[in-house]
Amino acid sequence: MQNRNTKKKGLLAVVLAAGLAFSVVTATAPSASAATKITKIGVAFDLGGRDIPGFNQLAYFGARDYVKTHKGVKIQELQAALSDTDATREERLRLLATSGSNPIIAVGFTYASSLKIVAAEFPDVKFGIVDDSTVVLPNVQGIVFAEQEGSFLVGAAAALKSKTGNVGFIGGVQTPLIQKFEAGYAAGAKSVNKKIKVQVSYLSVFPDFSGFNDPAKGEEAARGMFDNGADVVYSAAGGSGAGAHKAALAMKKWSIGVDADEWAFPSNKAYKSVILTSMLKKVDVGVLAFINSIDKGTFKSGSVTFNLKNGGIGYSTSGGRVSSYKKKMDTLIAGIVKGKIKVPSKPAM
Amino acid sequence: MSAIVEIQGIEKKYPGVVANHNVNLAIKKGEIHAIIGENGAGKSTLMKILYGMVMPDSGTILVDGKKVIFKSPQDSIALGIGMVHQHFMLADNASVLENVILGSEPTSFGGVIQVDAARAKLIEITKNYGLDINPDQLVAELGVGERQRVEIAKVLYRGAQILILDEPTAVLVPQEVDELFRNLKDLTSHGLTIIFISHKLDEVLSIADDISVMRAGTTVASVIPSKTNKKELAELMVGRELPKRREVSTKPGLEKILEIKDATYVTPDHREILHGVSLEVHSGEILGVAGVEGNGQSELIEMIMGLVKASSGNVSIMGHDISDSSSREIRDSGVGYIPQDRQRDGLLMSAPLWENRILGHQATAPMANGFWLNKAAAKKDSERIVVDLDVRTPSINVMAAALSGGNQQKFIVGREMADKPSLLIAAQPTRGVDVGAQALIWNQLIEARLAGMAILLISADLDELFNLSDRLAVISGGKIVAVLDPDKTTPEQLGLAMTGEKIA
Amino acid sequence: MKSRIFWGIVAPVAAIVTSLLLISGILLLKHTSPVDILKAMIDYGFSPRNIVAELNIASGYYIAGVAAAIGFKMMLFNIGIDGQYRLAVFFAAVVGGLFTLPPVLHVTLIILVGAIVGGLWGSIAGYLKVKRGISEVISNIMLNAIAAGLVAYLLQPTRLGEQAEGSNNLNTPIIAPSGQLPTIPFLGGQIHGFIIFTVFIGLAYWVLLNKSTFGFNLRATGLSFKAARAGGVNAPKMIFVTMALSGAIAGLTGMGTLLSETHSYSISFPSGYALTGLALALLGRNHPVGIAFAAYFWAFLDRSAGVLDLNGVPKEIITIMQGTIVLSIVVAYEIVKRINKQQEQKLVGSASATLKVSATTEGEASA
Repeated sequence: MQNRNTKKKGLLAVVLAAGLAFSVVTATAPSASAATKITKIGVAFDLGGRDIPGFNQLAYFGARDYVKTHKGVKIQELQAALSDTDATREERLRLLATSGSNPIIAVGFTYASSLKIVAAEFPDVKFGIVDDSTVVLPNVQGIVFAEQEGSFLVGAAAALKSKTGNVGFIGGVQTPLIQKFEAGYAAGAKSVNKKIKVQVSYLSVFPDFSGFNDPAKGEEAARGMFDNGADVVYSAAGGSGAGAHKAALAMKKWSIGVDADEWAFPSNKAYKSVILTSMLKKVDVGVLAFINSIDKGTFKSGSVTFNLKNGGIGYSTSGGRVSSYKKKMDTLIAGIVKGKIKVPSKPAM
Repeated sequence: MSAIVEIQGIEKKYPGVVANHNVNLAIKKGEIHAIIGENGAGKSTLMKILYGMVMPDSGTILVDGKKVIFKSPQDSIALGIGMVHQHFMLADNASVLENVILGSEPTSFGGVIQVDAARAKLIEITKNYGLDINPDQLVAELGVGERQRVEIAKVLYRGAQILILDEPTAVLVPQEVDELFRNLKDLTSHGLTIIFISHKLDEVLSIADDISVMRAGTTVASVIPSKTNKKELAELMVGRELPKRREVSTKPGLEKILEIKDATYVTPDHREILHGVSLEVHSGEILGVAGVEGNGQSELIEMIMGLVKASSGNVSIMGHDISDSSSREIRDSGVGYIPQDRQRDGLLMSAPLWENRILGHQATAPMANGFWLNKAAAKKDSERIVVDLDVRTPSINVMAAALSGGNQQKFIVGREMADKPSLLIAAQPTRGVDVGAQALIWNQLIEARLAGMAILLISADLDELFNLSDRLAVISGGKIVAVLDPDKTTPEQLGLAMTGEKIA
Repeated sequence: MKSRIFWGIVAPVAAIVTSLLLISGILLLKHTSPVDILKAMIDYGFSPRNIVAELNIASGYYIAGVAAAIGFKMMLFNIGIDGQYRLAVFFAAVVGGLFTLPPVLHVTLIILVGAIVGGLWGSIAGYLKVKRGISEVISNIMLNAIAAGLVAYLLQPTRLGEQAEGSNNLNTPIIAPSGQLPTIPFLGGQIHGFIIFTVFIGLAYWVLLNKSTFGFNLRATGLSFKAARAGGVNAPKMIFVTMALSGAIAGLTGMGTLLSETHSYSISFPSGYALTGLALALLGRNHPVGIAFAAYFWAFLDRSAGVLDLNGVPKEIITIMQGTIVLSIVVAYEIVKRINKQQEQKLVGSASATLKVSATTEGEASA
């Protein structure tokens, strides 16, 4: 597949180890390379780190999944700090590169400007960056997601489940990224019930990133929404989501998880009965696909968007709470995939 | 009578300093034994040794004829020695009873405090020794004298038979001193022994059964009050003849330097502290202000210094109305100020002496050169003060806190007089200082008066007021109740005026 | 007073050694050799590239440290450095991104905006303290939250911020080259040009505090509010001015990053300067040189922490180390203070005991 010039969208399909298909949506500067023998995978995390459920952890799972099938490959991880400047992030990436990691995954858009510099310094190292598509270099791949599409689905599920015509959205930290979740969710809910009320609350504003890991705040926000008449709440708030589950359990309402299938989390065992569904943003799939493409010599620069169409985005059906809506959901998925339904990525102001 | 406490050949050295050297004392049971000496003569070190806070290098302490070694105050308390500190250690928001039992609460099985038993014991103590305190009153509501009685009760509660009182009268007004002395006599009549540390010779002569004099770390004499006098004691303490007070015969000038007209001060919470106060101080005059503390003296001083604004009336200095001037402007117009609480208001305790020379003079030459400080001038003049006023310090670079109270005060006096102000506000200028420093400060004030300085002297020390003042103004309840001629007034008359009684 | 300088150095060294011992203990419990870890940290932290990066980080830390120190001199605990810095660097970036000006003027304007915004924000806490008696700690914590909210609100694309296509970041418009400060090549890296201003800030802090009447008034008020007031200092005004000044300095904390690195303010801008600044002022004993060493040391630790993760040691161990240092330094300085006081009292005691006018020379008195 070397040097093949692909301008059309969705031309290229690769079968993943996990059995999922994805497609390159915008391969702006296609450049492929020969298969590289991977010995060390570098992961530079965003705030929160590996141990908190969320995209950091999923990115790590992606690398781990590769290591599971490739004995002897090591993962080098570096953590982020609040005091990070672009220079600090730059050095973190550089440290991974000089200590032999290839490929390297930068988790989070905050790495974008640092990556521009470091990737240019190490043309032989492949870099993947999650949630950003601004770095255009031959050895960089942006791994981005259509979060609004998955959020649209769980929004529709919420509206279908709601008896009060009132649902809630809890965002961890108010950033454009999380606002994509909000926009999709609200649009999804309204596609089912035009008159539905969508309550919106963000737990913190940057530079306070505590909203991604503060279950107490999550619980408080969810309780407030339930008190205000909501009966389903969707949290795009990382670790804080557990608080919303807790509130839902206490008040006999519904809660929706994010990123991974929260129903299956051992830590959420107590809340299984109230988790309606989860919006799946399969960062692990994206990262694994990125690593595999290097292993197989099919690496493409530019950005790869994971969406409903290629299965990088979805919703979970564990627990069977939404199985009765399957037909409706399938229609919506088809509509989005075919472009009949336009999902906004910015909330209506 | 044999000695209940005997101290033989006590030595205590700190590197470079002999704090106590060959100290010998014999204290008889049931007596009041005074230990006098200048600040820094070694009294405090000796008391710390006796109370177990400091271990001596050598020497013996005998209690009841038995040799003892105190490793901590617990050891000395166990042998019935108790200490009443100069600075009270009481919790304001607790009752008298709670303060007394604090740290030695009687508890029943399970740790419940037996309040009733404690109260009974305290009441018994106060009855036996005639200590007038109410166990259930809040300490915050108590006056200084009452607080001191609480401290004494605290020590007695712990079973003390020998009480050490460290300068107990320093904080008391005359009436309270009398009350304290009655209490002390009561205690000795019950067989208790009192060790009384002081440098106030009058008091010592009036109350002590025995007096030991310390100088430069050693005991230099032991005398009986009936066979000595004030002058002899002072000379024993200082080791030389006291400087004689100059006889003042010149008349004050006529120029009004300070004029206060009908000034009233009401606090923000509507308490009227000063009512229609009018005063004049002329050049070359010392106007003494006598009064029981808390009758408006502090506010009067703060009003003159621009630290509080008069609610009505006005204050002028050399004909200029300064009622609306800032403290800075008032100082710069030629006013020196010796505050009554030197450590709180007069010094930056943790700054070196030479920086303290700048305080109050930081805006004008020679201490300032426009925007910049003149460090060299500050150091030079600090050296001068140290020499001229005999400030005992190894260097002008030590922290003010390291100096003894008397030396701190001498430094302040030197500083406030350095610029030869037209008006000097001297509040309690010799409170708590030893006789040597007192004489020196008095001389400074008298010399300045002769040179034409106007001085407002606020003091609680009647000797000081009588010796220095050209006129005496008496303040009571925020009013000037009398202006007296010290030559024609007796201390008794003054005392009556201070308590607000009309002089017949 | 040579001994005072000596003890001033002993205390931080003792604190660092204590924390090193503690960390070594933890590492040994984890069966990791402390020597190897230390060696890895030093090798990595002192590589030329990292020295440059550490200098750049330390420069920001240093300014935060000076801002904290000037507050400490007044007995003010300026925990508001975070908010002052954030608001200042945000508005500096916004104003800087508005137009093109002649280079020197443009940069000067950006720096001034930072100092003024930081100063104004700091003065709110000063006003509340002087006029309403509200503890500056409480008001500053509130003001930090308000500043963060305000910046987050204003950084929205519909307001003062913008969002690049394909990016999830928000930033202010890029400052034109005329408003960018050149970097200084050093050891193969690029040092922020603002480091020169940093040195100047340290120098100005020292001169102002120790050589001027203003500095005397400030220190006097900090040492004793009442004594300063009795000495004719307008002490409440000094508290207000000091809080504003501390805020103004805090407002310059992010200038190096803004002027020489990012040229715009964005979500990914660093935070957490308040606690670092306060720790550095403590560690450096409010002395400009002390803070400089402390800032570099802190930057070194932050930086070389990266290599720990690679060695299988969680880098939180560095946070523990920094915390222990701050804790031990407080204890160590208290001990040193007591030793100094004792020594002085002994000197004074001997000066009194000799009963002579031995005022001028230390040698004579202690002999």
